[in-house]
Amino acid sequence: MRMSELSTSRGNVRFREYPGLCFLHDLRGHIRCSVEHVIGWEGELHRLTPLWLCKPIFSVDIHPDGTKFATGGQGQDSGKVVIWNMSPVLQEDDEKDENIPKMLCQMDNHLACVNCVRWSNSGMYLASGGDDKLIMVWKRATYIGPSTVFGSSGKLANVEQWRCVSILRSHSGDVMDVAWSPHDAWLASCSVDNTVVIWNAVKFPEILATLRGHSGLVKGLTWDPVGKYIASQADDRSLKVWRTLDWQLETSITKPFDECGGTTHVLRLSWSPDGHYLVSAHAMNNSGPTAQIIEREGWKTNMDFVGHRKAVTVVKFNPKIFKKKQKNGSSAKPSCPYCCCAVGSKDRSLSVWLTCLKRPLVVIHELFDKSIMDISWTLNGLGILVCSMDGSVAFLDFSQDELGDPLSEEEKSRIHQSTYGKSLAIMTEAQLSTAVIENPEMLKYQRRQQQQQLDQKSASARETSSAASVAGVVNGESLEDIRKNLLKKQVETRTADGRRRITPLCIAQLDTGDFSTAFFNSIPLSGSLAGTMLSSHSNPQLLPLDSSTPNSFGASKPSTEPVATTGASVNATSTPAASSPSVLTTPSKIEPMKAFDSRFTERSKATPGSYGVGHGCLCLCRLKEQNLVKELRPRDLLESSSDSDEKVPVAKPSSLSKRKLELEVETVEKKKKGRPRKDSRLMPMSLSVQSPAALTAEKDAVCLSVPAPALKLPMPGPQRAFTLQVSSDPSMYIEVENEVTAVGGVKLSRLKCNREGKEWETVLTSRILTAAGSCDVVCVACEKRMLSVFSACGRRLLPPILLPSPISTLHCTGSYVMALTAAATLSVWDVHRQVVVVKEESLHSILAGNLSSRPPLFPWGGDRACQGRAAWVSDVKQDSLAQCADFRSSLPPQDAMLCSGPLAIVQGRASTSGRQAARLFSVPHVVQQETTLAYLENQVAAALTLQSSHEYRHWLLLYARYLVNEGEVSAGPSIFLGLTQFLSQHDPPESP
Amino acid sequence: MAKVSVLNVAVLENPSPFHSPFRFEISFECNEALADDLEWKIIYVGSAESEEFDQILDSVLVGPVPAGRHMFIFQADAPNPSLIPETDAVGVTVVLITCTYHGQEFIRVGYYVNNEYPNPELRENPPLKPDFSQVGPVSLCSSWPWGRGLGAQLRGRIDRAC
Repeated sequence: MRMSELSTSRGNVRFREYPGLCFLHDLRGHIRCSVEHVIGWEGELHRLTPLWLCKPIFSVDIHPDGTKFATGGQGQDSGKVVIWNMSPVLQEDDEKDENIPKMLCQMDNHLACVNCVRWSNSGMYLASGGDDKLIMVWKRATYIGPSTVFGSSGKLANVEQWRCVSILRSHSGDVMDVAWSPHDAWLASCSVDNTVVIWNAVKFPEILATLRGHSGLVKGLTWDPVGKYIASQADDRSLKVWRTLDWQLETSITKPFDECGGTTHVLRLSWSPDGHYLVSAHAMNNSGPTAQIIEREGWKTNMDFVGHRKAVTVVKFNPKIFKKKQKNGSSAKPSCPYCCCAVGSKDRSLSVWLTCLKRPLVVIHELFDKSIMDISWTLNGLGILVCSMDGSVAFLDFSQDELGDPLSEEEKSRIHQSTYGKSLAIMTEAQLSTAVIENPEMLKYQRRQQQQQLDQKSASARETSSAASVAGVVNGESLEDIRKNLLKKQVETRTADGRRRITPLCIAQLDTGDFSTAFFNSIPLSGSLAGTMLSSHSNPQLLPLDSSTPNSFGASKPSTEPVATTGASVNATSTPAASSPSVLTTPSKIEPMKAFDSRFTERSKATPGSYGVGHGCLCLCRLKEQNLVKELRPRDLLESSSDSDEKVPVAKPSSLSKRKLELEVETVEKKKKGRPRKDSRLMPMSLSVQSPAALTAEKDAVCLSVPAPALKLPMPGPQRAFTLQVSSDPSMYIEVENEVTAVGGVKLSRLKCNREGKEWETVLTSRILTAAGSCDVVCVACEKRMLSVFSACGRRLLPPILLPSPISTLHCTGSYVMALTAAATLSVWDVHRQVVVVKEESLHSILAGNLSSRPPLFPWGGDRACQGRAAWVSDVKQDSLAQCADFRSSLPPQDAMLCSGPLAIVQGRASTSGRQAARLFSVPHVVQQETTLAYLENQVAAALTLQSSHEYRHWLLLYARYLVNEGEVSAGPSIFLGLTQFLSQHDPPESP
Repeated sequence: MAKVSVLNVAVLENPSPFHSPFRFEISFECNEALADDLEWKIIYVGSAESEEFDQILDSVLVGPVPAGRHMFIFQADAPNPSLIPETDAVGVTVVLITCTYHGQEFIRVGYYVNNEYPNPELRENPPLKPDFSQVGPVSLCSSWPWGRGLGAQLRGRIDRAC
């Protein structure tokens, strides 16, 4: 073996300045690879080729306890994972001792070559990923007696039993690298399908995120040691850093990789243990291969490791942070700590660097016959295993003289804390149990630890009992004895149809203490351990800290008070539970309801008789039922939190989300047996006087058995189609056709208006119950409590208005629109002035004694009186804000452009646009045109309502452009007339 | 990963005369308790040319199967020589052990069976009509685990083995 110092073999290499962590480094330290090192070293270098059965070996990883290590590679006709005993590698005596097993376990389960094996930080699990697109998670099984490798005729016995506890499927291509996050909260995997997948490591196979953005094969992953980032390197000549907070891209670094070709099998990058530096695999500098050093601070790329002659395939930092060895006699001057890093390359050589030195500590040329594939350091930082494509593994031993004194874990975490503040990921277990809790994650962690301890206790108890039971079966016999007597003892029976049935002898019970049972069941962990995110809607154990809690409290409060006579609170309690949008009627609820949303919706639907109870009340019931928030059952919370994860983005009232919600609710309900389910769609129809009897059906609901609005006015039922004559001079009539077409599951209803021979039409997304019109306006009320107002020439005047309860009567005069709801609240809008004249005034007092008969129809004259009574006149804008976000009608235009502004914020961006647009292509053009126009009109009106001039222009322009493009000749002029008039009157406010 | 995987199959009393029963000691592992029984079969491949001559020597239900490792002995009578084509009576063929659950085969383990006349004279000049009483001892060797999808693969294997 030839070993030489880098500078002598490549004298013209330009070494870049790498100040590292140590600013006081000893200049003499630059040339460390002296002759005596090489000599002293040769004895410690092991090449282990003869041991290995699989070829090539793509990955190697040392177990955290240092007693074993795993390799992954290609077996004979499958992928192969092998677990080896470490001691024969470390000690020659052990190697010769035949009683000490070298191989502990072989796993052939991967269908194709294994590209990566990684131990979890706890050492409890091993993850492997391979060309079969799978990631397998292994756990040591507690069996009695050795098992054999199948087909080896019992010659090859597995000393340890490792069992696959999870198979993770998501990737559509070869899995290239896997990585456990600090504290094993997440497992990341990357693949040639260009994605990185983050798995919830406490709840396999849950996927927390799929990171898309790479445009080439992703070949390497590394976690930030403090758990804030994850970095990935791909063949697309970029290195991307992702935040664990929201799983979004933090930065993409491309410059050092511009010249790179995609020729390496792997790109295993590494993050330094102090977190300051990220070192990439294959990068180029002046057409020479390098390992690029990326600084955490600003992601600067000013330094690199230079010297390898071919592409760098793997970089691995030593897990320890070192400080200079204090020599006897030298001054006890404290030196800065530094890190140590090993770099392997396709040129078959390995270099080891200290960040305090400008030159490598040691370079070993031609260590293998083929490219280096993976490197693993021992936990004490003094040993290193290197594997190669040629199927061999080498072990290198360093002394403390060479590397320096490793810092203790306490010192290391002190460095972390001084740099990043106290955080979970960087604290040691011992510290955590005693530390003062500073953030929710730490509390979560501690609780989890406690739970785990409990589990462990019970597990061990179980283990002993199971061992005893096995012993009972086995009766102290050895496996050999069992085998001898097996046939005699074998229980054979006949089934009813006369077939032989053998009862197999159980030779080992399974240890089931894996994810699916003890561990996971009892701990509702969201996997957000190391990060700071997700806490808002993740771990319900921490309700006091949970941001969703104040929300739900806020929501429940109004209902705890006796129902006041104010419209608002009537509104809050009398909202039909079936319609989730109702949560948006009070300001505090504009935010998504998060964790609680789905639960309560479900509850409200599932429980007959509680129709009149709004979300708030149900919250209350729920909480009451549970006695105390803190004592919520973890199971429940788990469900709700996982639900909410999905739901947050769609918590706004959209039919899509609602359907989704219903679906989910259904699934949840299926699980809950014995709870009758009512067809939610019928509920708005059947909404009826809230009977106290029904209320008591709900346990604890008595607390709000305040006689809720006991009024229910007759409502128009949905009709297939109807026509309404608005006026005879000018001749004007409205035609309504319900559910004419269905677009991707959304049924559309058409509204047609004919005014002196000129026709316009538009579509709505729910069935139209009633319509009214005057010479100036046309308004319709839909099933989903939506009120839409159009000008006589077909322009949408207001965004859909959400009524507090289903419509009873609708009336128009001039520019006034009056709506009387089934709950006897009356609202009047002046659409031209865009103001509310009467806002949800309760007619309870007037109508109370008059329930059975049809309520008097208010002529306009009556409204004047009402007007006087109106306590306040609020702006329509506030009310309709909620509906601005309505995606029901958001079958968006193909050219949905991004436009930022309050409207966009409220609507949460058309994330579904692509999907819906795609859906649209399968429907007739006319429908598409109509829906697009309806959507655009909605947007224009909404933007105006929100006074977002920028967006108003955007949508208006889009609208106009669409009209021109589609050649709306017939309707065009009239609409345009209206538009231009409108524009001149209402130049959008705030316009620059 | 499969819920059930075969850990080992040991051939007992090997080699043995043609007419003696096959006896396999099968150990398998099950990840979770199975609701229904597993069905195991021993199939003797009479001729490599056609599945027509496959003989199901025996089929047996195995259960109940809780999670864990289990072991049983599966014994089946020797194949009926009258069903074996005369041309294939002597030579290498295959015995298959299959396992099905709800009618779906998911495990197939194969053994080569070498039927030959121990008598060198007979080996040199085999009788026209095979004399099965003279065949044996039959030795089973070289097991391999099988996935699904079978026939062609099986034939290929036999071809190579011969």
